[in-house]
Amino acid sequence: MTTPGFAGKILLVNLTTGQTSSIDSAKYEMYGGGHGTGAALFWDLCVAPGDWDLQDAFDPRNAVSLMTGPLAGTGLSFAGRTSVSGMSPQSYPVNWFCHSNFGGSFAPTLKMAGWDGVVVIGKAESPVYINIIDDKVTIEDAKALWGLTTWETQEEIWKRTGVRYGQEWQEFEKGHTLQRPAIVTIGPAGENMTRVASLVHGGGSGAGQGGFGGVFGSKKLKAIAVLGTGQIRVADPRGVRDAREWWETKWPIGPPFAGPEGSIPSSCMGCRRGCHNRNQVHGLDSDNCAEQTWYNLAPPHKGTPYEIQWKMTDVAQKLGLNAMETCFMGPMSFEVPKDFPIQPRIPAYTALGWYMKKMYDLGVIGPGTKFDTSPLPMADIEKPEFAEIYGLAIANRVGIGDLLAEGTARFAEKLGRLPGDFDVLLRLTAWGYQDHWSMPTVEWAYGNLMDSRDINNHDMSLGRKEKYTCEQFVKILASRTAPYNDPLWFDYSWKGERAYKTGIYSDRKAQWVAWHQHYATYYKESVLLCDWAFSNLFNENSPDGKGYTTEAEPRFLKAVTGRDHSFVDGMEIGRRIWNLKRAIFVMQGRHRNQEKFAGYYYRPGASYCGYAPELPIFDGSKWEWVNCRELFFEDKGVEQWKTAFFKVEGWDPASGYPTRRTLEELGMRHIADVLQAKGRLGPA
Amino acid sequence: MAREKESEKGKISRREFVVAGGTVIAGGAVAACTLSDASASQASDEFPLSTAYLVYDSRYCAGCQSCMLACSLVHEGAACTSLSRIQIARAVLTKYPDDIQIHVCRQCPDPLCVRNCPTGACHVNTANGNVRMIDSEKCIGCRQCISSCHFTPHRTIWNQAAQKATKCDLCVDAPYFSKKGGPAGQQACVTTCPVGALKVVTELPSQLDNSGYDLRFAPEPQRGQATTSSKTGEE
Repeated sequence: MTTPGFAGKILLVNLTTGQTSSIDSAKYEMYGGGHGTGAALFWDLCVAPGDWDLQDAFDPRNAVSLMTGPLAGTGLSFAGRTSVSGMSPQSYPVNWFCHSNFGGSFAPTLKMAGWDGVVVIGKAESPVYINIIDDKVTIEDAKALWGLTTWETQEEIWKRTGVRYGQEWQEFEKGHTLQRPAIVTIGPAGENMTRVASLVHGGGSGAGQGGFGGVFGSKKLKAIAVLGTGQIRVADPRGVRDAREWWETKWPIGPPFAGPEGSIPSSCMGCRRGCHNRNQVHGLDSDNCAEQTWYNLAPPHKGTPYEIQWKMTDVAQKLGLNAMETCFMGPMSFEVPKDFPIQPRIPAYTALGWYMKKMYDLGVIGPGTKFDTSPLPMADIEKPEFAEIYGLAIANRVGIGDLLAEGTARFAEKLGRLPGDFDVLLRLTAWGYQDHWSMPTVEWAYGNLMDSRDINNHDMSLGRKEKYTCEQFVKILASRTAPYNDPLWFDYSWKGERAYKTGIYSDRKAQWVAWHQHYATYYKESVLLCDWAFSNLFNENSPDGKGYTTEAEPRFLKAVTGRDHSFVDGMEIGRRIWNLKRAIFVMQGRHRNQEKFAGYYYRPGASYCGYAPELPIFDGSKWEWVNCRELFFEDKGVEQWKTAFFKVEGWDPASGYPTRRTLEELGMRHIADVLQAKGRLGPA
Repeated sequence: MAREKESEKGKISRREFVVAGGTVIAGGAVAACTLSDASASQASDEFPLSTAYLVYDSRYCAGCQSCMLACSLVHEGAACTSLSRIQIARAVLTKYPDDIQIHVCRQCPDPLCVRNCPTGACHVNTANGNVRMIDSEKCIGCRQCISSCHFTPHRTIWNQAAQKATKCDLCVDAPYFSKKGGPAGQQACVTTCPVGALKVVTELPSQLDNSGYDLRFAPEPQRGQATTSSKTGEE
């Protein structure tokens, strides 16, 4: 019998043959749902057959999955995201297996339709969209939708039905509904197989990182629409509602970030946060985060007026552009010392728009160079029309837009700027993603290195807490990081012997990063608890400062699934998925020797954009807050950390390959067999 | 019983009770029709007025539909938008205020769903504040209550799996609700709404048009700081 919280089946769509089929979810429940199930499906559909090299994300054999988590649609807050998994065209230089996720109402609706997820393989001959109404699945002609923006596409699909949504009940075999289909779609950026294309659902629930919009485009898949009228079964309905109330009462959350002038906060289905907007003008349904900075120029340009920012936010959403990757990164910029090579300030991440302008200012592109900047009206960069042309040029691969559509890292490579620009100018992770102020909170940076993208780690960001001493603070964190509960995990010592003993290169930091990755892989990416609320180790609204992590997660999951899993049991599922992902990376060619930070991480300035520069430092006898803005890595230390990390994970320290012992311990003998056959299993 | 009701039905012109045929559109639209007879807003001897009414503030609804999931959880034991007795329909690409439609059961002064039910399943529960509710054991699935509801969309809910109708009972009969429900108790939707845009009132709202249940009571939404986007762009 299907575990409550799960629908019980996964939809497999082969666009090459036009066939659809159903996969029993039960086989994949050991991977937790979401990205975990997505990884297991990818293994079974793409890796295990062994018939291709897993290098090109645009290959029709790439399987892209959209998976829900067990809590989606149950009425628990922050729990309704959809995970997207598959090989990523954005990752550089290798198209690593990757993930992204988005909110809105797609996941709850998909589960009400009776599906835990959809996995798509193959490539259609001409544009199509997948239409799901409960059990009925059809592949529909989308030739007339090709070329439309993400918003136009959704409106058009809604219009085709002729239904007055919200005003008349639609009657289907399984049930009646007033709702309109939840649709995830691509815009021109995805159709043209840019590497900076997002999937967009609603106005602005987007899965940007990874470039999965381009994967949809490569498959000629314009959209997936779903309407569900069924029930999501939970083990303890009373307990689900009570858990939400308990959590909201004990750890009240603050107001959402500000939206456009006059806007009203709105939320994803089942969530209380209010990250999105109801609006009368622009910024419709947009999340108040990176997309709202898409067009906001960095100094020395003047700031972009708020209303224009929001108007341009809509442009990026409609074109289906990954806003984080392609923005101009204006306001989040940091002062740097007078001798730093970038003056006067440096943006938190050197997004494509900023870098393109920098290249123009340096004379690398533009008049007199071999890189013509047309159709961009560079002299008018402060005019909003510029942003529209910039977006259109990328999305449609026009002129220099064709180069920009390759993403920041590949654009720099085509200009001949690599690897040099990685040393200072271009603040990207090892795999070509915007750094996202990961430093000096090194667990974020290390996570970026060991995973395949920016791990988007807002929850773990540390920083001085005025009400607590440093020692009190690290003890609170330790109390929430079961089962290890070691305060020394949070020592950010980065100089001298201490850095190696308990600081950023130590065994302790290896354990902390492993814990953190296991947590994120299961609870955030597979259970799909939202990054805006989970994890929560420290909580300023709590009387003792302790966050809800280790208490909330198992209570939520027990109420929904009925399983008596402890928090640590969930961490073990995270470790299983993390090992499976490692096996996929290794099958794609990942080796310890590749895992090097971009040059700037090893130089002064690595932490100048630090979001929380004051971190706990232990000097051997006492704790104190220290400004770690000068923190940067040294190669020897990172190599020591990698050895320690691989040992913590039970992987081969020399290669980073998983070992049979670890994989079998996690119930994945079949993974070990494939790795062994390919000569990519670590020695016993 | 059913025959009695049928005969009584003939005494009252249905037209007198047609309050509105339109849709309640958040924040704006007004119903096309109004009462032709003030008696519709008064208790009849036959159907004493409900002592409680679910009202909403469409201005600040966040569209999260948490109320719907809570409603179906406490009543049906499963999360299901189709079975929620409060219906929030979002159109996220439509501009405010037309982006959200809210449909609640109005606990009508003269409940045609009750009047037209042939088995007495749909009844006025005098033991619980005169709430108009459906006894599922007596429901034979004839859908009279659904076709009788003079609002569009109808506020009585069809359960396809059970082949029975349900409707808002203000949580009188909510077997999976750990609080005391009903007019004098709490309601799952009200307790779950994160923005305080739902509440129960004891006074009969205006029946003149659809806005009678769309009141202004929710606290103004709080907004924190801007994220990475300052107004000037220069921090």
